[in-house]
Amino acid sequence: MAGSALRRLMAEYKQLTLNPPEGIIAGPVNEENFFEWEALIMGPENTCFEGGVFPARLAFPPDYPLNPPKMKFTCELFHPNIYPDGRVCISILHAPGDDPMGYESSAERWSPVQSVEKILLSVLSMLAEPNDESAANVDAAKTWRENRMKFEEIAAKTVRKSLGI
Amino acid sequence: MRTVLLTGLSFVLTGAVIGNAYYQKKQFYPSVVYITKSNPSMAMLYIQAFVFVILMGKLMRKVFFGQLRPAEMEHLIERSWYAVTETLSSLHTEDRIDYMERSPVISLLFHLRAITLITLLGILDLYFINHAYYSTLLKGASVQLVFGFEYAILLTVLFMAFVKYILHTLDAQNENPWENKAVYLLYTELVLGFIKVVLYMAFMMIMIKVHTFPLFAIRPMYLSLRGFKKALHDVIMSRRAIRNMNTLYPDATAEELQAGDHTCIICREDMIEFSKKLPCNHIFHTSCLRSWFQRQQTCPTCRMDVLQAPRPQQVPQTPPPQQQQPQQPQMPQNLFQGFAGMPPIPGWPPQQQPVQQPGTSGASTTGTPATPTTPNTPGSGTSTVSATGTHPSTTPPTSVPNMPPFMPPMFPFFMPYSGQGMPLPPTRPEGLTDEELKVMEGQERQNIEARIQWLRDIQCLLDGAMILIQQYNTVASQSSIPNINLSGTPSNNTPTDTNKASSSREKSTESSPVVNNDRDLDKDLSDLEGATGYTPPTEEMIPSWEDPSQEEHEDEQHEVRRRRLEKFSQPSPNNHIVKEKAATD
Repeated sequence: MAGSALRRLMAEYKQLTLNPPEGIIAGPVNEENFFEWEALIMGPENTCFEGGVFPARLAFPPDYPLNPPKMKFTCELFHPNIYPDGRVCISILHAPGDDPMGYESSAERWSPVQSVEKILLSVLSMLAEPNDESAANVDAAKTWRENRMKFEEIAAKTVRKSLGI
Repeated sequence: MRTVLLTGLSFVLTGAVIGNAYYQKKQFYPSVVYITKSNPSMAMLYIQAFVFVILMGKLMRKVFFGQLRPAEMEHLIERSWYAVTETLSSLHTEDRIDYMERSPVISLLFHLRAITLITLLGILDLYFINHAYYSTLLKGASVQLVFGFEYAILLTVLFMAFVKYILHTLDAQNENPWENKAVYLLYTELVLGFIKVVLYMAFMMIMIKVHTFPLFAIRPMYLSLRGFKKALHDVIMSRRAIRNMNTLYPDATAEELQAGDHTCIICREDMIEFSKKLPCNHIFHTSCLRSWFQRQQTCPTCRMDVLQAPRPQQVPQTPPPQQQQPQQPQMPQNLFQGFAGMPPIPGWPPQQQPVQQPGTSGASTTGTPATPTTPNTPGSGTSTVSATGTHPSTTPPTSVPNMPPFMPPMFPFFMPYSGQGMPLPPTRPEGLTDEELKVMEGQERQNIEARIQWLRDIQCLLDGAMILIQQYNTVASQSSIPNINLSGTPSNNTPTDTNKASSSREKSTESSPVVNNDRDLDKDLSDLEGATGYTPPTEEMIPSWEDPSQEEHEDEQHEVRRRRLEKFSQPSPNNHIVKEKAATD
């Protein structure tokens, strides 16, 4: 198993470096350990996160394509679907079989067909369109729903912070 | 930094406390008494002890683990919610050994550390168990009992870690990935889960007998029970899925690999050999599929549940999923009503909804009598076969030469008809409303289901006709009326013989004599005209099921239809033959 997980991660790394999708950079933190990745996600255009660059960590399980990695933003991000500690809450990152929230169907969850690229693209679209129905950060969801102005203000602040301004 | 400062401070304060005591009392014994009497001093000493414990822990970690990786740290914090201090190091070991899998290079130091740690913890655990055991024997039940069991549980955890370590080491020594490792891990988990459950049970029993109900053990016991149940369930389901995979799913052929994307979506590597095709036509490496089935029993791409999908009849010991079973007994009855209704009625009664009829999957097992009743359109007959026989989600594959589980329902067929419940014959296409027709157009799943429903209803009726013919044969054989010759089987059909005949007919429809049969039967049926109780199904009686304007575009239509059906039917070697037959026609 070890070999195949490693090989697949290497293949995905190669794929991501050869054809990087727009707004995403990802790769292992160091070449010795392919099971810890760092990703940089650019805030999607025409959203309140536009212009920001948000770093995140991906931790892959030893049986990687069979189980989903864990993803965590290492910067502060006020978003309905990101836990206050940075963990990302999207359905394709949930292992099939167990549903922590009893919310999504198994069809939306992890399968080996998914990949780092798809995860990061999902995160991008999540940034663009928060899903306030299954909120990981209830405060953020509430602000998003009731006080969009304030949400955008906070987002702009995080964008500036992520750029170090 | 702060921790260092705090540790230093605690050392200084302890020194001050002891120094002060010694300074005041000048002698060892009085100063000890002084310290124990004074609350602030005692508090200080407790804090110092706590600091020592932490320092010890750090020292141990330094020796055995070196730098903790961030993931391990996170894990530790996650687990610390319900982890007792003793458990930590064991859990830790497991984490670290999991790390083995991920790291491409493993140093000698790692092995040394792992082995020493495991041995040390093992010896410690054993010692404590031993101690607890003897103290219980000598002094009767005490708190040692609890500790003993706790350590026994820990020992199992440790053992799990050890097994993992061995497996990983073996795996690391081989060049190619070791497929069966996951299986062994699964089984170890199962066995250890069982041991844990037994241990907790025993603990419960003893505690209830000796003391009282051990409330504190409920939670771990529940957790271990749940874990065991899950492991058992996983093992059973994965075994079933893997057996399915090994026995039922065809190996992907070279053409299939060439035709599609030949990258295995699980490992992202090329598939050259050792790949399997699922009933949903997705192809994967056998080994990848196996390890996925150990976790989930669905198709990775489309998430079709492979255990819910058609269960072929060759595996009688595992009954097919629920929806098929209750329908089997109804099948014969279903057939009969249509029977009773069929012969006298020249056309189909209008205004009926064939789509709502239950899709009795058993119908397809009675073979493929579609061929004799549509003599002029061999193409449509055979394509019906390939469609109904192979639709991935509803009907089992046609290749059922011996079908023991479905034989019993056939016997009641030979009883005189009793006129109840059968799929109503489909309406003429002209009589269909626009909605009904629309349902059958398009490429959506429901459209195809509707189409297949039509086909199946038709097949059901045809099966009924076949049985009538056979009944006629049995009667005829006793009264010396010329028999209908069914694919060359002896004309003296006793009821059991007809069973055989029908099953042999299935085989024959799948192999070469399809077309010849058509002709034979056609002839025979025309001989039969006017025979009592049976009107041979002629062209006017049996409307084509799809196109009203069939005369002009017949061939064209058939071609289109066949192609469409081919697209959705899953090609298996047998069908290829049938289709080729149809094509040559």
